[in-house]
Amino acid sequence: MLEIGGLEAGYGDVRALSGVTLSIAAGEIVALLGPNGAGKSTLLNCVAGLVRPWAGAIRWDGQDLRALDAHLIVERGVALVPEGRRLFGGMTVQENLELGAFASRAWAGRRTALERVYTLFPVLAERRRTVVQALSGGQQQMVAVGRALMASPRLLMLDEPSLGLAPRLVAAILEALGAINRAGVAVFLVEQNVPAALSLAHRGYLLEGGRIVGEGSGASLMADAHVRRAYLGPLAVRSEDRPYPQGGHK
Amino acid sequence: MSARVTEERQHERRWALAILAALGLLALLPLARPREDLLNFVFLILLSITLAESWNVVAGYAGQVNLGHAAFFGLGALITRALWIGGTPVPLAMAAGAATAMVFALIIGVAAFRLRGAYFAIGTLALGEILRTTVGNVLPEISTLPAATIASYQLTLRYYLALVLAAISVIAVAALATSRLGLGMRAIREDEEAAEASGVGALSLKLTALALSTALAGLAGGLFAYYHISYYPAHPFGPQWTFDALLMTFIGGVGTLQGPVLGAALYVVLKEYLALRWVDIHLLIFGALFVAIVLLLPGGLVQAAERARGMFGRRA
Amino acid sequence: MTVLAQQLILGVLIGGLYGLAAAGLSLVFGVMRVLNVAHGELIMLGGYGAFWLASLLGIDPFASLVLVIPGSLLLGAVLYWGLFAFVVRAHEETRVKNSLLIGFGLALALHALAVRLWTADERSIPTSYSGAVLAVGDLAIPLVRLATLVLALLLIGALQLLLSRWRWGKAIRATAEDWQAALLTGIDIRRAYLLAFALGTALAGAAGALITVAYSVSPSIGLEWTLKALIVVVLAGLGSMIGTFVGGLVLGVAEAASAATFGGPYREIVGLVIFVVVLTVRPRGLFGR
Repeated sequence: MLEIGGLEAGYGDVRALSGVTLSIAAGEIVALLGPNGAGKSTLLNCVAGLVRPWAGAIRWDGQDLRALDAHLIVERGVALVPEGRRLFGGMTVQENLELGAFASRAWAGRRTALERVYTLFPVLAERRRTVVQALSGGQQQMVAVGRALMASPRLLMLDEPSLGLAPRLVAAILEALGAINRAGVAVFLVEQNVPAALSLAHRGYLLEGGRIVGEGSGASLMADAHVRRAYLGPLAVRSEDRPYPQGGHK
Repeated sequence: MSARVTEERQHERRWALAILAALGLLALLPLARPREDLLNFVFLILLSITLAESWNVVAGYAGQVNLGHAAFFGLGALITRALWIGGTPVPLAMAAGAATAMVFALIIGVAAFRLRGAYFAIGTLALGEILRTTVGNVLPEISTLPAATIASYQLTLRYYLALVLAAISVIAVAALATSRLGLGMRAIREDEEAAEASGVGALSLKLTALALSTALAGLAGGLFAYYHISYYPAHPFGPQWTFDALLMTFIGGVGTLQGPVLGAALYVVLKEYLALRWVDIHLLIFGALFVAIVLLLPGGLVQAAERARGMFGRRA
Repeated sequence: MTVLAQQLILGVLIGGLYGLAAAGLSLVFGVMRVLNVAHGELIMLGGYGAFWLASLLGIDPFASLVLVIPGSLLLGAVLYWGLFAFVVRAHEETRVKNSLLIGFGLALALHALAVRLWTADERSIPTSYSGAVLAVGDLAIPLVRLATLVLALLLIGALQLLLSRWRWGKAIRATAEDWQAALLTGIDIRRAYLLAFALGTALAGAAGALITVAYSVSPSIGLEWTLKALIVVVLAGLGSMIGTFVGGLVLGVAEAASAATFGGPYREIVGLVIFVVVLTVRPRGLFGR
């Protein structure tokens, strides 16, 4: 469904992505892992249309997304939950969610979509008239995810949804994502919280320094020595594992 | 980077010399015993050059749009007029006027520069209006020179003073542009945060630019006070002086040495030519021209000339 | 005491128009980060529109709002497409500076145009009820001015309703909060900008018509009203139309109080001083977020 080929992007003189190639098929949950500054957000922003790539292809259902304005990409069924949530702070939960269905593909069905979001996140239903600034971090994250869902996307992208959240809430978000996926929505998840991401994802990519340096199923990445050393802490590395420099993985 | 800087310095120096040469030629004009209205006309151009260059210092080199510039023009005029009529020799009176403008600017500058971009612009606009209204209330009556002074009025003297002032402003701006200060200012104009990060003290540079800008404006105001026989004291505080300076600078090419000069000449010529037929239509034209320049040709006439030269000049 | 009360009432009456004038500017700046310093000239044009409709076609000035408002809406759309659509392509700091400059050129051109079309004289719209006054004890409340206050409040209320109920009104608010997030929810922010600018101009035109019937219009009211609008926007802060309206009332009352205390000429200065003080001390304004 989503095909990215040889993507190059950056800001001004600074290169953020070099020759990135990956794909996401319908119904998959794909994780994108990597350290800070690796370019993960840039990648998502390119797909969503907030950043224009320098070169390479982004194809969604065979259609080139690069030429489209961001709001038109939402119309095509690709929705992004941006880093830091970026809610409309002065507006209520309901208003934020409703705006999520602004795209014409979703506007007519917004009441149904709203009920679905409230079923997924019952706490939001209770606080639907609260101004989102007054919500806790976890609740705000739910609103952010819910807002993206209101667009009836076929691909839901999330940029670090677990950032700043307590483990219990992270688990709740992950559970929600699982449910969303079972309902037929593909998920592209950027996360620094590797165990969380890999526990959910079918597949994953590893992005370092703007390049894809690894790919595999969730389980294989979880067992990979480099991933374990770099992202799961020194205690997680077993002495008999081979160190990364001796080879890549696929 | 330094090669480009050296090239720019040479460029500015060449223009400065060209302008000074032109001014030198204009110094010969009174010897040809021209009609008085021609001398007045050139005087107006010279005054406009000084005013435009003074505004250009803050806008073009330090990157801030000062919409209250007339306040300093007015202060210079106010102090000069008061001192001169009271018996102080003109050069001293003008120096005092410039100093007053500069001190006032520095006092409010520290607070004003905390505002960025648009806020600085409208803040200075408000300050200018406050001054104008206050002066208009405190000194509502017209200021006229005493009869003896009118009797001994010499236009050529004022003409030469205007020439000297125009030359001073051009030299001052040229010196600034080619100095380390000027370089720092340009860095601020391009990207203030990056400049601060690399050690450029933004506030002190901006204040220096403001000091020079308002001192020159104050001198221009002093010239205004010396030139006119009678006017309302609040008149030089009026926003149209700021707007004129702004138009001239932008149309000519903001941030360049020669831009304000070209813009001033064009502006005064067009205004005089059109004012004969239609009142204020010159403002309609300049307003439209200004918008076109901001949108299409931000570098003004200077940029247009460079593009034209680029198209034709390479053939040889 | 009665003199002071009378002055204060007149201050409230004009304050409503200050609020209306500021509302358009606040909307445009809040949504697009464009500071249209020609806003006062748009007010002036609305005033002349009402004047023309009254003097050429004999239409009652209050009734002419029905024509002036849509006309101003259209003018706003045209100005956006022609000028400000280019400005919003740049990122924020350049955008503000360019909008300032473009607004400046536009103001100059419109001012000159007005002088050309209507001369520099003051114009007003006398009606059969111009002198009507509501007497409350010793106080006289001019009915025309009272009507303009009520209409200003109604128009602001209508705007508030549009912004909270209308789909595109919500889109406008969302764009004002976070344009990137708005894009991500499928909002075409350029259309939001267009609508905001057109609405802002419509409010300006309405304000102009009301100013002309209650006071007078001349080419020079442009700068004057741009400053008033700026003062109120800075005083009230961005984000609330009602807050802006209240800010207008505050300015009107402050002016009246200072005129009564220090004398007429200082009426203008108090507003400007408030402006500078608020700008330096609390740039967010009284009600801003």
